[in-house]
Amino acid sequence: MFDVIEPALFAMLTIAIVAAGAGVVLANRITTSALLMAFTFLSVAGMFLLLGAETVAMFQVLIYVGAITVLILYGVMFTPQSPRLYGLFFQTQKWWAALFVIPIAAFVAAAAFAFRDSATIGAKGGDLMPLATSVFRDYAFPFEVASVLLLAAMVGAIVLVKRDED
Amino acid sequence: MPVGPFGIDPAIWAPLRLIIAVLLVVGLVFNGALAQIYLERKIQAIIQDRLGPLHVGPWGLLQTFADAIKLLGKEDIRARLTDKWFFLAAPSIVFSPMIASYVVIPFAPGIVGADLNVGLLYLTTLGSMTVLGIVIAGWASNNKYSLIGGLRSAGQLISYEVPQILSLVTVVVVVGTLSMVGIAESQPGWQMNFLVLPLAFVTYFIAGLAETNRAPFDLPEAESELVAGFLTEYSGMRWAIFFLAEYGEITVVSSIVTTLWFGAWHGPFVEVFPVLGVLWFTLKTYFFVLVFMWIRATLPRLRIDQLMSLCWKVLIPLTLTNLMVTAILVLAFPTTLVPVAIANWLLLGVFVFALPYFQRRRLVALRERLRTAA
Repeated sequence: MFDVIEPALFAMLTIAIVAAGAGVVLANRITTSALLMAFTFLSVAGMFLLLGAETVAMFQVLIYVGAITVLILYGVMFTPQSPRLYGLFFQTQKWWAALFVIPIAAFVAAAAFAFRDSATIGAKGGDLMPLATSVFRDYAFPFEVASVLLLAAMVGAIVLVKRDED
Repeated sequence: MPVGPFGIDPAIWAPLRLIIAVLLVVGLVFNGALAQIYLERKIQAIIQDRLGPLHVGPWGLLQTFADAIKLLGKEDIRARLTDKWFFLAAPSIVFSPMIASYVVIPFAPGIVGADLNVGLLYLTTLGSMTVLGIVIAGWASNNKYSLIGGLRSAGQLISYEVPQILSLVTVVVVVGTLSMVGIAESQPGWQMNFLVLPLAFVTYFIAGLAETNRAPFDLPEAESELVAGFLTEYSGMRWAIFFLAEYGEITVVSSIVTTLWFGAWHGPFVEVFPVLGVLWFTLKTYFFVLVFMWIRATLPRLRIDQLMSLCWKVLIPLTLTNLMVTAILVLAFPTTLVPVAIANWLLLGVFVFALPYFQRRRLVALRERLRTAA
């Protein structure tokens, strides 16, 4: 019975991700885009669950749906709303966009269909320990460098904003 | 043919179990909310020297049922200039993560929806999703009070998520598992985590109050300044769903407190009758629900700047220190938890006694400066 459910879930999630992703770009109102983006993130989390990576799925929802989307909505609400006065970048330059997107899409599709070995994603259940050891032991130094970089970016953003007030 | 529990085929039992569990949880949330609203009104009445609900049913017990029926019968009103789909979707975006939280709550040995090995992470994740619904509710209402309520909620919940998660991580460092059942099993008998990690409990409880938008952190719906905050434009059952979600969240936070710090289902005679665990778990959980209500009746609401400075200047440094000290001590003394407990009780003492002392000194200095300026 579960042989049917997993491909069905996969199909539903795939359609949801692609459709909501297209909606993010095509929607006229930026709030709709933000909400559809949250939906895309949720569907991607579902994809991680199907792959047996529960921890990654949880962090996906915790950080992207719970924090990033709310932050974007927060920003949107403080921005003046004027739909259609400014076209979004992709909506006014369709042909240029297509020119750049089609080669990339072809490359991604080719790469995606090159993966045929489904046995490599069989590690179900308990991705917490491997994730923790790889982040905090094997790759501890790059991880710390990245966090210092983020801290520097944050301090820089605060300094940039504060300078206007003086 | 394989035979599962109660002599039913496992292929049928799995979906059947799911349906039973969902029905039980929905019943638990709805009845729990009715009971909690009654409790809330009675407790506030007792604290304020009033009688509270009295006339509908014995001791006013049926008052909340009457209120629920009234809410169900009300017209579903939507103002014309609201953002239709967002406005309609917001209550369910707030409600569904709360319902989903009950999957991992361990009511008794063997009575748990699913023993996820990332259970605690799952609960924090779902807790963070309610913000989205509240922000959308505030935005879609097309009302300045609602919008301010929604924005306050976003700022408050994102800020208080940090000390909340840090407090939970402190427990995880000591216990060594994220599974709710594993955490419950790690505290047999009287060996509750509260005895080892009291500070983490206090900081988590404060953050939990903020997370559920309860007094003294109920700024998103502050009646005296924002009408009803993000709830202003909602009426009837949509309004009621927000409140069901709020009371459900209170139960979830109380259950987390019970599981992490107070030994979950453990109590007398549980080894003999495992079902008795449900009783102990419910009693412990409702004790914390009562504390929620007690706090609401006693403490005044914080100002938004006080709220933020409490979080960023007090709770986050404190929980970070607590986490660091606990992690070092757990690594240094792998066999005993006594040093961790001593450090935690000391830090709790610092929090409870030193903080008001420094606060008062700052106030005195401020008054002095004002007097010399005048």
